[in-house]
Amino acid sequence: MKTIEDNPGGITKADIVVGIPSYNEASLISFPTSQTAIGLKEHFKDYNCVIINCDNNSTDGTGNAFMNTDTLGIPKIYLSTPKGIKGKGNNFKNLFKKIIDLNAHAVVVVDADLQSITPRWIKNLGEPLFNDFGYVAPLYVRHKYDGTITNNIAYPLTRCLYGRRVRQPIGGDFGFSGRMAGLYMKSSLWNEDVSQFGIDIWMTTIAMNEGVPICQAFMGRPKVHKPKDPAADLGPMFKQVISTIFNLMDTYQEKWKTTKWSKPTAIFGFGLGEVEMPPAVEVNKEKLYEKFRNGFNTYWDIYRSIFSSENLQKIREISSLSLDHFEMPVTVWAKTLFDFANSYRHNTVDKNKAIEVLIPLYYGMTLSFVNKTEGMSIQQAEEFLEDMCLVFEQTKPYIIDRWNQ
Amino acid sequence: MSKVLIIDDEKHIRLLYSEELEEDGYEVALASDGNNILDRIKKEKPDVVVLDIKMVSSNGLDVLQEIRNTYYNLPVILCSAYGSYKVDIKSIAADAYVVKSSDLTELKNKIAQVLETSVPGKE
Repeated sequence: MKTIEDNPGGITKADIVVGIPSYNEASLISFPTSQTAIGLKEHFKDYNCVIINCDNNSTDGTGNAFMNTDTLGIPKIYLSTPKGIKGKGNNFKNLFKKIIDLNAHAVVVVDADLQSITPRWIKNLGEPLFNDFGYVAPLYVRHKYDGTITNNIAYPLTRCLYGRRVRQPIGGDFGFSGRMAGLYMKSSLWNEDVSQFGIDIWMTTIAMNEGVPICQAFMGRPKVHKPKDPAADLGPMFKQVISTIFNLMDTYQEKWKTTKWSKPTAIFGFGLGEVEMPPAVEVNKEKLYEKFRNGFNTYWDIYRSIFSSENLQKIREISSLSLDHFEMPVTVWAKTLFDFANSYRHNTVDKNKAIEVLIPLYYGMTLSFVNKTEGMSIQQAEEFLEDMCLVFEQTKPYIIDRWNQ
Repeated sequence: MSKVLIIDDEKHIRLLYSEELEEDGYEVALASDGNNILDRIKKEKPDVVVLDIKMVSSNGLDVLQEIRNTYYNLPVILCSAYGSYKVDIKSIAADAYVVKSSDLTELKNKIAQVLETSVPGKE
């Protein structure tokens, strides 16, 4: 892949790099860029800093919007994949290469559509990298229905598998060391899903398993970005994230089979004052229910070849529940994910098909989460989610048994 | 023998916990507040800390952060009379949260669980 580069300052060395991956974010990218510049000026003034936009050859002028943003004298570099090559992971690959070229010590990445980023985010994601940490995941307060793939799959599954409580494993905003960039660049685990939206969970999972010191950075403000309705079409993101999780389960099976329970991850950046609450996310429950029911009826025969007999019976029961009483018990959901991971590994059904038929069940779990937490505050829903994670951890012997069969 | 450091400002709680945990074969160290906690941990070398939240001279959630800044991997169990602190985002830095009770079954289970926790890599 030939990288397009615009490096007007001819920068060849940096201590800290902030990367902003993008695709068609011309109207939004200036804000995170300017906040980044303020953060670097305020908190890393003694270091050589550079801000890099790693883009997918956007056609809406994202590159110009970035290059025209005032960054208070901090140099900027524009990198892009060639025309026709898309994917967040491909943007990261260009960034990794550049970090190695620049011999940077620390890297912070923030999303281009962020509307709530403050200069403090740059400090909190970057500073731990100068204190022996190699990977920094974000910790922000999100609305209970924002990030449903995180809440229902990515967080509970990675936590129970690898024993690390990283609340936002696909948060999109990260810090990592230059050494980690080298490790990612050389990794043999790269594939097509990772080059797209699988990149976030791929980076977090590798950090968890490669003995890298991890912490979470508390951001103080909620993540506000382009909102997504959980009942809206998932698009390819679901497939790329879940496939990456399942593929890495195979790679790291010896690690997760010997992992028991989980440990908290160090948190950096708690300050004084009130934590700001995020805006509400609306959910269309009828649509979730309809998608669950339609998918269940369409894919029943395929489910029979994926589920264990005990779980198949439970899922059949659940499919008969009405919208108002709809509930997917957490044990059933955990076993569902474990059954799918096992099926994916053994190619019981085509891998792409397996992910496709998981989607209606995910909608069912999302509906169940909404029904259970409707009257709860964000904090109470967090507590509910923590209890969910404990159930995943308690159910883990099920996947170990099935995996070893 | 695993060592448990109990930090609680109520004397009768410290006594109850130490008696019960010693009976179960643990070595127990006691502290009445979170002051100089890092020195205390350095001296006692506990395998797990049981930490009260609402103490007269210190806030357990702040003590927890102080511990975490130095001892990333030391298991800490928050033990409070109030369930409401469980929803404070700072409490997620603890390994577990237990609501105080005269029946120590849950606390004992959590102590056993955090001591058998095994995860890859390091923090």
